[in-house]
Amino acid sequence: MECLLKFKNVVKSYGSDSIALDNVSLEINEGEFVSVIGPSGSGKTTFLRSINKLIPVTKGEIYFNGENISDKKGKALRMCRRKIGMVFQNYNLVYRLSVIQNVLHGRLGYMSGLKGILGRYSEEDKKMAVDILGELGLQEYIYNRAADLSGGQKQRVGIARAIMQNPRLLLCDEPIASLDPSSAKVIMDRLYQMTKRRNIACIVNLHQVDVAKKYSTRIIGLSKGNIVFDGKPEELTDSMIEKIYGTSLDNLMLGGNEGA
Amino acid sequence: MISDELSAAMPKSIAVSELLKYDKKGKISIICKDKNSSLLYFFTGVVVCTVISFLFMDIDWIKLISRVPSIGDVFFKLMHFDFTKTDLIGRAFAETVSIALLSTIYSMILGLVFGMIAAENIFRIHILSVIVKSFFTFLRAVPTPVWVLLMLVCMGFGPSAGIAGLCVHTTAFFTKSFAQSFEDIPDETIEALEVTGADKITVFTNAVLPAALSQLIAWIGVRFEINFSECAILGMVGAGGIGFVISSNIQAYEYGAAGAAIICVFLFAFAIERLFVRIKGAIK
Repeated sequence: MECLLKFKNVVKSYGSDSIALDNVSLEINEGEFVSVIGPSGSGKTTFLRSINKLIPVTKGEIYFNGENISDKKGKALRMCRRKIGMVFQNYNLVYRLSVIQNVLHGRLGYMSGLKGILGRYSEEDKKMAVDILGELGLQEYIYNRAADLSGGQKQRVGIARAIMQNPRLLLCDEPIASLDPSSAKVIMDRLYQMTKRRNIACIVNLHQVDVAKKYSTRIIGLSKGNIVFDGKPEELTDSMIEKIYGTSLDNLMLGGNEGA
Repeated sequence: MISDELSAAMPKSIAVSELLKYDKKGKISIICKDKNSSLLYFFTGVVVCTVISFLFMDIDWIKLISRVPSIGDVFFKLMHFDFTKTDLIGRAFAETVSIALLSTIYSMILGLVFGMIAAENIFRIHILSVIVKSFFTFLRAVPTPVWVLLMLVCMGFGPSAGIAGLCVHTTAFFTKSFAQSFEDIPDETIEALEVTGADKITVFTNAVLPAALSQLIAWIGVRFEINFSECAILGMVGAGGIGFVISSNIQAYEYGAAGAAIICVFLFAFAIERLFVRIKGAIK
């Protein structure tokens, strides 16, 4: 399998004493479904956002598709970014606009100057948007205002927008943290199916260890900016979980079969 | 049992009472620890200055009170509307409306462009927004009648000088207010479009502009109303329109005609206000 993303000794510090990523090196291959777990403040969000340079790193290099993204700027950065989709915890839609307009935003990176500015999307793009919305079960809501949807539906629009970019990599920053259990399951199922079908690598930040175990092909555990676990879901033992979260299992609400 | 488990879960717990803060009366303080008290001093200062300046104001109170009835007298005369000059008032009124409308539209277009540059979250070039903002602050600091007088010098008497003069001030106003509306758009919305690889202007037109639309409409409504009433004043310095009719009629002691013109101004201003409330409700 081809290597898609490569971190080489990446360090990110905020100020002088707060380190979010401490010399992180790793490789992620095409088609992997990676979950990143770890307590709050362990650097999960920084890790994810440094990939598309929403957060510039302090030291080290990040290679996406063989190109060093950490020293790119302007147009070159935008060309890389459009191949990396992103799904946010709070959906981040433009709520005034229709569902399909929000989905079409995923094409903006591919459109030339004036067309993009005026939002003149091609018919193929529109058809593709409708197809993706259909795949996500949102065909009835195409012309609804994004503000009128429920949380789970908004997140599905967020996924559709990211898939519209035709990405090679999808970054999901706690996509189910604001959702009820049934919507959360729908979102995770769709994410899994859609990325698998299109051979998109997916990195998901998660708080739910049971969800991470169920869906991922690989789990990365972060603690204080260091990778303390990197392996298959079945290798994630209870003692490993305790190490990642720095406390005993009794103090963790893990869901699943724990009978909570 | 449960309490035992809880205390085991927090081995390093410090006694709560040690962390509490108390106010001067010995009660438990609940305000944020780094509360900013400068605002309080500022408002206290403002109140003190207001009281002092009021005491020192050079007003002849007896004269003021003795003249109060004559204010009522003028109002009484103004209330006897004289509609014999309807065609003159109508023409002047139409002129005023078009001055207000045109100056608002031209300035809106300019304000969108400069507002985009001035907003800190669009291009993220700090120095550029500082330069644009300070330039327009200067334009705003000079009152509208002065700009109109300057334009009168350049362009001669008439409505076009009024439009140009109003545009200067209105553009400066829109730049500031639009930029503020753009800056209110949550960063997350902008971020979401940035990660698709869209450039800054595309992000602006596709995310920031639609999200800020209802605020922009509100600002445009406010300014259109201001421009309309400014027009009424500007007529008095020779920029044409209904202001000229009002001032010349008052000078000629024809209070009835002036009153009719004033009521036109009021009715139109009120209509604008209602209209924009409607528009804003409709686009929400």
